[in-house]
Amino acid sequence: MAYDGNDKVLEEVTGKSYEFGFTTDIESDKAPAGLNEDIIRLISSKKEEPEWMLKWRLEAFAVWKKMEEPNWPHLQYKKPDYQAISYYSAPKQKKQLNSLDEVDPEMRKTMDKLGISMEEQKRLSGVAVDFVMDSVSVATSFKEKLGELGIIFCSMSDAVKEHPELIKKYLGSVVPTKDNFFSALNAAVFTDGSFCYIPKGVRCPMELSTYFRINESGTGQFERTLVVADEASYVSYLEGCTAPQRDENQLHAAVVELVALDEAEIKYSTVQNWYPGDAEGKGGVFNFVTKRGICHRRSKISWTQVETGSAVTWKYPSCILKGDHSVGEFYSVAVTNNAQQADTGTKMIHLGKNTHSTIISKGISAGKSHNSYRGLVQIMPSADNARNFSQCDSLLMTDTSGAHTFPYIEVKNPTAKVEHEATTSKIGEDQIFYCLQRGIDEEQAISLIVNGYAKEVLNQLPMEFAVEAQKLLSISLEGSVG
Amino acid sequence: MTGTAEPIVMDLQRKPNIHPATQAKGEALLAALADLRTGTGLATEYLKELPVPHRRVERWKHTPVSGFWTTYEAPKVQTIQAAGCEACPVPGLHAYRIVFVNGMFDAEASDLPVHSGVRCEPVSMIASAPAEAGNLEKSDWFAALNQSHATEGMKLHVDKGVVLDRPLLVHHHTHGQKSANFLRHEIQVESNAQVQLIHWSTSNEAASGMVNIMMQLDVASGATVALDKVQDEAGQVHHLAFEQINQAQASQVRVHTGTIQGKWVRNDLNFRLDGEGCDAVLNGFFLPKDNEFVDNHTTVDHCAAHCTSSEQYQGILYGSSSGVFNGKVFVRPHAQQTNAYQQNGNILVTDKATINAKPELEIYADDVKCSHGCTIGQFDEEALFYARSRGIGESEAKAMLVHAFIGDVLDGFAVQEVRMEVEHRLATKHGWDTWNDTLESA
Repeated sequence: MAYDGNDKVLEEVTGKSYEFGFTTDIESDKAPAGLNEDIIRLISSKKEEPEWMLKWRLEAFAVWKKMEEPNWPHLQYKKPDYQAISYYSAPKQKKQLNSLDEVDPEMRKTMDKLGISMEEQKRLSGVAVDFVMDSVSVATSFKEKLGELGIIFCSMSDAVKEHPELIKKYLGSVVPTKDNFFSALNAAVFTDGSFCYIPKGVRCPMELSTYFRINESGTGQFERTLVVADEASYVSYLEGCTAPQRDENQLHAAVVELVALDEAEIKYSTVQNWYPGDAEGKGGVFNFVTKRGICHRRSKISWTQVETGSAVTWKYPSCILKGDHSVGEFYSVAVTNNAQQADTGTKMIHLGKNTHSTIISKGISAGKSHNSYRGLVQIMPSADNARNFSQCDSLLMTDTSGAHTFPYIEVKNPTAKVEHEATTSKIGEDQIFYCLQRGIDEEQAISLIVNGYAKEVLNQLPMEFAVEAQKLLSISLEGSVG
Repeated sequence: MTGTAEPIVMDLQRKPNIHPATQAKGEALLAALADLRTGTGLATEYLKELPVPHRRVERWKHTPVSGFWTTYEAPKVQTIQAAGCEACPVPGLHAYRIVFVNGMFDAEASDLPVHSGVRCEPVSMIASAPAEAGNLEKSDWFAALNQSHATEGMKLHVDKGVVLDRPLLVHHHTHGQKSANFLRHEIQVESNAQVQLIHWSTSNEAASGMVNIMMQLDVASGATVALDKVQDEAGQVHHLAFEQINQAQASQVRVHTGTIQGKWVRNDLNFRLDGEGCDAVLNGFFLPKDNEFVDNHTTVDHCAAHCTSSEQYQGILYGSSSGVFNGKVFVRPHAQQTNAYQQNGNILVTDKATINAKPELEIYADDVKCSHGCTIGQFDEEALFYARSRGIGESEAKAMLVHAFIGDVLDGFAVQEVRMEVEHRLATKHGWDTWNDTLESA
């Protein structure tokens, strides 16, 4: 509390209302609350799914009923009532869309507020956007352009209909339905998501991105993403999220599966900025996500995430390094403020020989939030010469926040080299003082220090995201030094 | 709602995880012990409520306890002489001595301190109210088991400002098969007193069963305590060691744990730094071979401001041995200016050796410096090559590297004779002749 201005600045920041807190009024087709086999049949029939898909959902539901919600994370929240949630809601749109002009004007406005002008994106940044609003994809761009290269980039519901052989082969192959409580729930009720397939030897010419947005009050969002990179292909996939302000907790239980076949490379980047709740933690999104990738021979999967939103985050993007010489990377910046809680990290499971993994995790806790890193590095007996480097740093902004580290290191091979290091410290008062001396005001100084602290991770993001991520960090943290 | 509750209680057993089949095994063990001996009648409520450890209980995730679910017999031997063992395991050590054999006090072999301001007696010889359950007994089933069955142990009280002139050696020897031994040491060191303790556990080749030792150490302000703990147990003994150390203002405690040998060893070392300006040092090494298992769980609970803690555990795993290291640093909301350091280094020598490490930080105060590091690797090929290119054989060169790897921990042992004996026994166990030669010529 060395600076008088702190309290004022802190108040300003914590008092800042959620910038993207607005709701769009679109008529929607909504299922009654509750979860049972009939609801699953309804979802499946609404989506005009084939019989095998329904069977798969029902099996997952049967498994889910026997499972218990995990209670091991370092999180305290009121467990959602899964029977009080509506599991299906779709914007009413009857005909297929051919161009952007056909999109509902209300929805177009939402996109504009989010800063995604579809045309702009198309022209300037070369990003193909699969825009998901409340479970149903409403607009897909660049599809044709990608199609020429044989790249499939479509909504999951289309993929089930159009590419059943790929879906049957890969859906649930990385994250089995039985994996955990939330993955089973997702498998039973997922409404949509994205599917991406890059054929052999193709380098995807643009960053693929999907914007998720929870829109309908009282509905959960259950996305399912599957990215398959065939041999020697490359893809960079971006995922960014914002959600409107709500008073009741919204549940988000997504599953992301990545398959990198021999010599393929997948780069998966996320900026997550869902509604974190008010200063007391009321409202806000529950983010329970299962993300996992499997690496075959000489392939590489790189996860980069910037987590600034959600009231509760439970998320462990992981890599199974199955093939020899495969590489897994995890770069994360997690910012928690007010009453936010995050329990996030990664799992690196080394099975193949000469597999390498790198973990860089930067946690920033402000307000009375709690930020935990939980990670597993597992070297199995078959993984000769495996190598892991982990670094988990935590920055504490206030004396009421908490920063925790729970790394699990399990090694069963004597040729493995595993290093883990973690530090926890306060934002340097001398650094702030140095900046103030040189005429840089406190807000800018903190932004400077935090961005420098998170640089290793931000550098991994594609250009478009790096800018957004830096902005987000500044919004979340300016002035919150304690 | 999503608001975080104040994390005031350090909950070792965050969420109990009861497994009915394991619970039944725990009850069977209790019944078997009830037939064998009388208990203290304490902690029975915790034994009923707490989960019996199994792999879904976080603090016992990698610690197999199946070896405990067996039959036990009353010990046949009660003196160190009958067991054919030396009363003092350290040659040339000039120390006070309290000796226990199979959980019983051996008056013949003991040499209790005679020093003004120091009271040291076996628990069985004094009538005092039984101690209440601490945090450990309330959260760990095996700690509660200790409290409900330990009728013997050492009670030590060191008055204000007293400096004990010689180290005090607590020796426990296990002899014979299927014994169930419980000891509970209660130690109080008043302000500004100084004491050096040695805790040495041994057993004979044919020994089996369990040893469950709890040490409660209360250190008042300004006092200094050094504890050298050595475990060198042959046979098939399952050894559980719990330490609860409470430090008051400006006190200093140094604990060094050396596991030379043991079929199954679990050390559960817990510090609570309750006053400002405390200093805690906890170092240890473990070199298991064959199918030995060594587990070191430590917690350092920083409850007050301006405290420092420093921790270093080094492990080298041979044969098909396995090791566990779990170090937790917990900094409470008002423990500002905490300086906590933790380091864990491991070397896996063979294909079948495994290590499970989990260095944890839980921090609720902002003006702190906390760091931990953990490494797992091999002997440095280049260093080996350097030594070999100068005519040093491979095993000798490796012994030199071992010495360097655990050297910092060895240097920390408070009593020189203990350190020498530890090195000697390590060299004998692993066949490092040159190491032994150097020691003898020194």
